[in-house]
Amino acid sequence: MKNLSLIPVLIVGALLVYAAQDFPEWGSPNSPASQSPVSSHFIANTGVDTEVPNMVTAVLADYRGFDTMFETVVVFIAGMAVLAILKKSGKKNPRKREFEVDAEPDLIVTNTVRLLVPVIQIFSFYVLAHGHVSPGGGFQGGVVMGASFILIALSWDLDTALARFPLDRCTVVAGLGIILYAGIGLLSMFLGGEFLDYAELANILPVSREMARYHAMLGVEIGVGLTVTAIMFSLYANLSTEGRLKGGL
Amino acid sequence: MIDWFSIVMGTALFLMMIPMVYRIWVGPTPFDRMLAVNVIGTKTAVLLVIIGTLFGRVDMFVDFAIAYALLNFVSAIVVSRYLNRTVSLRDMEEKEKAKEVEA
Amino acid sequence: MIHVQAVLPVVAEAVDKGGGIFPLQLIGFALGVLGLVFFLGTAVGMIRFPDFYTRMHAAGKGDTLSTMLMLAGFALVTMEDFSLGSWLLVVKIMAIVLFLYITCPTSTHALMRAAFEDDEMPLEEKDLAKRKKK
Repeated sequence: MKNLSLIPVLIVGALLVYAAQDFPEWGSPNSPASQSPVSSHFIANTGVDTEVPNMVTAVLADYRGFDTMFETVVVFIAGMAVLAILKKSGKKNPRKREFEVDAEPDLIVTNTVRLLVPVIQIFSFYVLAHGHVSPGGGFQGGVVMGASFILIALSWDLDTALARFPLDRCTVVAGLGIILYAGIGLLSMFLGGEFLDYAELANILPVSREMARYHAMLGVEIGVGLTVTAIMFSLYANLSTEGRLKGGL
Repeated sequence: MIDWFSIVMGTALFLMMIPMVYRIWVGPTPFDRMLAVNVIGTKTAVLLVIIGTLFGRVDMFVDFAIAYALLNFVSAIVVSRYLNRTVSLRDMEEKEKAKEVEA
Repeated sequence: MIHVQAVLPVVAEAVDKGGGIFPLQLIGFALGVLGLVFFLGTAVGMIRFPDFYTRMHAAGKGDTLSTMLMLAGFALVTMEDFSLGSWLLVVKIMAIVLFLYITCPTSTHALMRAAFEDDEMPLEEKDLAKRKKK
């Protein structure tokens, strides 16, 4: 039966490879993506409008600001849903797994992680703040930052990580990220523009309208990064312990 | 010349990953499979740098390579920890059953 | 070669370009090829060695060393001029080298400890003899 299921997989794979022959060449100006007016508009105007060299970041955080904001809200809601479901069930039937073995933290692994965690966290800040120029941004930086806390939880135990980043603080930080994002949007609204129209921030910042969009994008990315970090860690802490927050993986 | 070197290196790396895939396919223990996955992961960081050299954007691809190496390390630690724990759970259950049989 | 050119424009560009070599890049090429040799050792070891611990020996050592050598080679190869940007690139690639130098042995150790606590015993001589009989 297991081998039988290989047949449709192979057929579909062959079809996909066959279809891939029709793809336009890499970087070809004749491909449909390059010919649509949208991409040529962004390529022509991003640098002029926002002074951000990385077009992807500009489109993500500025032109499509609504989309990214509600993506962040979706991440937040996912974290809160897991918290709401598992916290209750963890309290209701605290099934004591008698077989639970507390593995000793390994000396070599803990010392390596002790060395690496500051480096990883600085790298996450770099990814977050350098997202205007190189690939990166709030989501990626948040994931790397969350991975550093998960690494602490893995190499020692969950209590050590929770002592550094308690779960209620996770919730607060995650909410703070969204408030920061929406707050920048609302601020630009109060200053006379539309919601998430960052150019109006030039009224209070001592920079030009283009640079105001640049700096507002950085603030927005920081908000996204805060939310993603907190939600990643709280998801790990809840899912790996079924909401009991003890022991863990 | 640089591009030739990159192409040759990348192809050779890719070909030498086939033994690792064989080890993942055959590997008698889960640890063998995880070991091969780990080797492929570190080599993928090198492949990313090679691809960056080919495209002339090494400054971009180096960041990917750092992030990839980091996540590879995390995955190795996660899997070793997970296998360690589940195995000890299984052992404990067997011991428990043995106790019950004795009683 | 015509077929390859049709498939990948990057490859075609590389074929067309050519260009000169600096002595620093020659060292880089040598380092990269040396890394490939060590990785060949890893690949052969992963297939031919009889049990998990010997395979771990091949993978842990050869993989770390070959990755470091290859990355160092590419750091030298990409260093065309001694401008600030290329120095930054070399520092970044060396950061990956340092990172792998620390993390690869650690993950190998973690896997080995997990295997050892799983009562995965190393092969003994009689096991090898048994295997040969088969």
